[in-house]
Formats: sequence, structure tokens, C-alpha cells
Amino acid sequence: MVKDKIILTNETGLHARPASELAKLAGTFKSTIKLYVNGKTIDAKSVLGIMAAGIKYNTEIEIECDGEDEEKALSEIKKGFENNFDKQ
Amino acid sequence: MLKGKGVSTGIGFGNVVLLKKTEREIEKETIPKEQIEQELEKVHEALQEVIKETESQMNNITGTEADIMQAYIMIMQDPSLISETENAIKNLNYNAEYAVEVGFNSVIQIFENMDDEYMAARSRDILDIKNRVLGKLFKEKTIDLTKLRPNTIIVATELTTSDTAKLDFENISGIVTELGGENSHTSIMARTHTIPAITKVKEATKILKDGDNIAINGTTGEIYINPTEDEKQKLLVLEKQLESEKVELEKYRNKESVTKDGIKVKLYANIGLPSDAEVALNNTAEGIGLLRSEFLYMDSDTMPSEESQFTAYKKVAEIMDGRETIIRTLDIGGDKDLKYLELEKEANPFLGYRAIRLCLDRPSILKTQLRAILRASAFGKLAIMFPMISSVEELREAKEVLEECKKELDNENITYDQNIQVGIMIEIPSAALIADKLAKECDFFSIGTNDLIQYTVAVERGNEKISKLYTKFHPAVIQLIKKAIDGAHLANIICGMCGEAAGDPSFIPLLVGLGLDEFSMNSNSILKARKTINNLNAKECAKLSEEIIQMASAKDVEKRLKEFINQ
Repeated sequence: MVKDKIILTNETGLHARPASELAKLAGTFKSTIKLYVNGKTIDAKSVLGIMAAGIKYNTEIEIECDGEDEEKALSEIKKGFENNFDKQ
Repeated sequence: MLKGKGVSTGIGFGNVVLLKKTEREIEKETIPKEQIEQELEKVHEALQEVIKETESQMNNITGTEADIMQAYIMIMQDPSLISETENAIKNLNYNAEYAVEVGFNSVIQIFENMDDEYMAARSRDILDIKNRVLGKLFKEKTIDLTKLRPNTIIVATELTTSDTAKLDFENISGIVTELGGENSHTSIMARTHTIPAITKVKEATKILKDGDNIAINGTTGEIYINPTEDEKQKLLVLEKQLESEKVELEKYRNKESVTKDGIKVKLYANIGLPSDAEVALNNTAEGIGLLRSEFLYMDSDTMPSEESQFTAYKKVAEIMDGRETIIRTLDIGGDKDLKYLELEKEANPFLGYRAIRLCLDRPSILKTQLRAILRASAFGKLAIMFPMISSVEELREAKEVLEECKKELDNENITYDQNIQVGIMIEIPSAALIADKLAKECDFFSIGTNDLIQYTVAVERGNEKISKLYTKFHPAVIQLIKKAIDGAHLANIICGMCGEAAGDPSFIPLLVGLGLDEFSMNSNSILKARKTINNLNAKECAKLSEEIIQMASAKDVEKRLKEFINQ
């Protein structure tokens, strides 16, 4: 299991588009991916779960990946957050 | 006549197609255990049908709308959307219809209760999915929005994302809704497709009936039921006017911003969000004359970090792709409060602790912002502008902080634009009066007329009782504008203007006459301003400005300027 913390830098929070990009990205990994935010645990593969958490700008998020591709999952998801899930 | 809020301009004639929500009776039944699989299957099939329908709509849309639909589809595919519904069937033995009703409602509730307005609005998306799934379960026939008769005016309580995605725009001549605001999805979509639209029309779906012949005015928000010949004629005249104005302005899309006698000026946009830069470019802005940086601070519960500011500035720089973009440093305090700054209440906020005064008092705020702008300057042509400068000391102090930031970045081997331009707002009379001195110590001016007027005539902008005294036509205001422009030109620097006055066609001839170099305004005023400038003769404008400078009364100035532009 690997984990790391990031801070959400998207001014508008984790809205529909970035939330769906995150869930889509998380869905490509075999590992279970959890986000810990404001005392809540969120399944990163569930777009509804992410949206329902209402994560706002400047919030600290802990990412936890557990599974065979955990290292890659963690680094890709961190990268996604850094780019605010903009399409490349 | 009905009245609402016009959100997309234009005139529309046509027949009403009502999109009314069907009222269904959902009965609660208890199903036998052996039927559970069957009920689960029904729900899955209904949902799959809805997903398929939505996916087929994706083919003819692009851009932001496609992104929204993509997110919408992902919500439908998320197993947790129907996990409550499945539980209701498996554990409580509800029938499919009732299980969908309660299962979806629990998800809707989570979103409804969120304090984030945007997220709360997503509850409507899920409600919409629920209604469509129920529609499938009840085998209801829906109005085929992809094939409408010509001249249809859609009347609805509110249009959902899924409704608007499949609309047959060719045949729609107007949209009327009971709910929604200027920036709701429907309004934005209507403006994109240039369809007249009116929102906030009370009881529209009750008063208007299917097939009603109506006419709507998307500018004024007026709806005429069975319009008389007289009303029709008036609206047709208006429609022609709007059309010809639009066609006329489009001619200036690819023209230079130059007067008939060859004096070139810059037409820039004022923006408040990074994404507005795209709107500015669509409206042919040649640069950004004012990026208000307050959005970064207002949307946050704490001071925005250097990193988040850098990301935002970099985004604008990249969108503007080499075009000049002037970022105004934090202009807050006094009337615009931020909780985390813990500012004291003041008796005269407009004369108080705000903007550059606050930033120089708390240099760490300014440093964070300047470092972010400098770092972003490696990705485009950025410029820095300090607001509320009233003396040379303030400018020197602010520039010292900037030098410190540059040194830090040099030591950290971070690249930035070494020649980044530094300018100031001229919005305080004292700055206008010593403009020639200030001009020697910076690279450009931008006149902020909104504050300059209020400080010159001592009239608070928002005070209705004295609003008559607040006027850009006051000879003293014009003298100060002239002072600023002349001061800038003596030192060979550029003078711009980023107040509302810069986009007013009646004021532009005077500004051209006084020699203003850069006009920055709301994006949607740019084409009109270019048209105005293309039709001016700078020499005549110079004569006009000499004449205006001699005048004593604001009324006379206003009268003369309106006469000039209408001649």
C-alpha cells in the first residue's frame, strides 16, 4: 500500500468534469484507490462518490492505492491532480 | 403579455411546444422473492437504454457541452448510482418503479444538501436521470426533441442537460422557461446557438398551451400571446435592426483597430476569470488590459498559494498565446472583504486600507502573487499592474518587492520574463496630477475611470441618491484623463484605460483625440468599439478634445460628445 497527500489547486473545486476525469483515470488501475478528505473516505473510481464529497479548492487530499499497480496508480493520479485533470 | 428575464437576445415567432413533466403514480408493491432477479433486470435495462440514448446524442456535440455529457454518462455508469435501488429491491422487496423512486431520491438528497451551489445543481442531473429511467419503466412516449416542426418555441419549467443536448436547433425560434438564470446551462446554450431565450417567467407552463402562437423578445423578456398585427410589425422592425447591427459588427471582426487617418490603437478586454480569456479572444480582443486577480482570493477560505496562482496565470498566458495580458495585483479591502484577512471595519472604506496599501503593509501577500506572476511570465506576455497608487513612494516600494522576487527566482534558477512590464492604475486624482513624475518610473499607465470619477467628484459609486453627480463627462475628470495621457507620452510610455468609459462609443472620440493608446473593456463591447474607431478621423477628434477641454459643464460635454458621434 502506498499513499501521499496533495492539495486541490483547481479554483472551482472538484467539479463534474475533473471528477469524471479522476474516476476514469482511477478506473484504469487494478488497485483499490481511496481518497481521504475532511474525515471522509471516498472510492476514487466512483464519480458520484467524488462529487458527493464536494471537495473544495485548497483542500488537502490523501490518496491511498493498494494493489499490484499501486505505485503507477499513485503517481498518475497525483499528476492528474497537478494538471487539474486537463485533457492533454 | 407575459414578462420574464431576457437572457439571449433576438426576436422569435412561433408555436408553443410544452415540455411538461408527466405526473406518474408510482405504487409501492411488495414482490415475491422469485421476482427479485426480474425486477433488477428491468432497472438495469431501463438505465442501459437511457445511457445508449445519451451516447448517441454525444455524436453531434463538442467542447464544453460534450464534457458535461461525458460526466453525465459517467454518473449513469457509476455502480453506486443504483446501489440503493438494488438494495431496495433485494432487501425490501420493492417493485422496480418504487425502488428507483426511493433509491435515486436518497442520492439526490446527498447533493441537494451540499453547501456548494454547483454541486447542489447536480441533484437536478440525477433527478433527470431518475425521470428518464422511470419513463422507460412506464414505457412512456416522449416528445422527440430531435425532430421538431419549424418555428417551435419550447416552453418548460426548466430544460435539463439531456433536453438541451438533443434539441433540434434548426427549428427552434425561442425558449421560455420558468426557472434558470443568466448563466444557467440553457441560457449559455441559447446564446451559443443565437436562439432568443427568456427565463424566470412565472407559471409559463400553466398559462401557455401547446400550439399557442406567441412572439418573444429575448432582449426585454417580453412574451406576446397571439400577437396583434401591430405588435408583430413592431417586433419585425426590431428584429431587422438587431440583425443588421449584428451583421454590421461582424464586418469589423478581422479589421485593424485604426482610425480613418491611420492612427492605430489597441482594443483589449477586461476579464475576471482565466476562462474568460477564451471569450475575449472570440470577441477579437487584441490583449487583456485588466485581469482582476480577486477571483483567486474570493473563492478561497485561505490565502491562495503561489502554486495555485501560478497555475491560473499560466492558463491565461497560454490561452492568450503571446498577446499582452495585464494582471492587476490584489485590489481588495475596504468594501470588498475577505474573512481570512481579518480586516477591521472602517468608517470610509473607499478611502481606507485597501489594494496596494494593504499589500505593502503585508508584503508577504504581494510577494506570493508577484512570484506567481513572474513564474507564469515564462509562458506568455504578462505585465504587472499596481492598483490605487497615489504617490511615487508607493510605486517605488512595490517595485522593490518585485525586485526581491526576481532575485529570489534568479537564485532558485527559475525562469521568467526579465523584461516584464510594470505599470500602475491611474485612479486617484493625486496620481493623475503627478502623472509626468510617475511615468518616469514605470512602463505604462491604465486609467481606472470608475474610481477616478468617484474620487474626483467625491461621489460614492453605489449611492443612488447622488448618482446624478457621478459622471465621466465632468470637465475635472476629463482634465485628469488628459493629464495622465500627456504625462505618459512625455515619458514615452503607453497610456491605456480599463474603466467602463473606454468602451462607450460616445466617449471614444474624445479619448482618441486626447491620444489614448489602449482601450480595455468588456469583451462584448469590442466589435462595437472597433467600428467606432474605424469611422473616426483622429485629427477631427483632436479638435473635438480641444473644444471639450474648454467646457465648464458636464451636461454640455455630454451633449457635444453625443452630437459628435451621431453626426
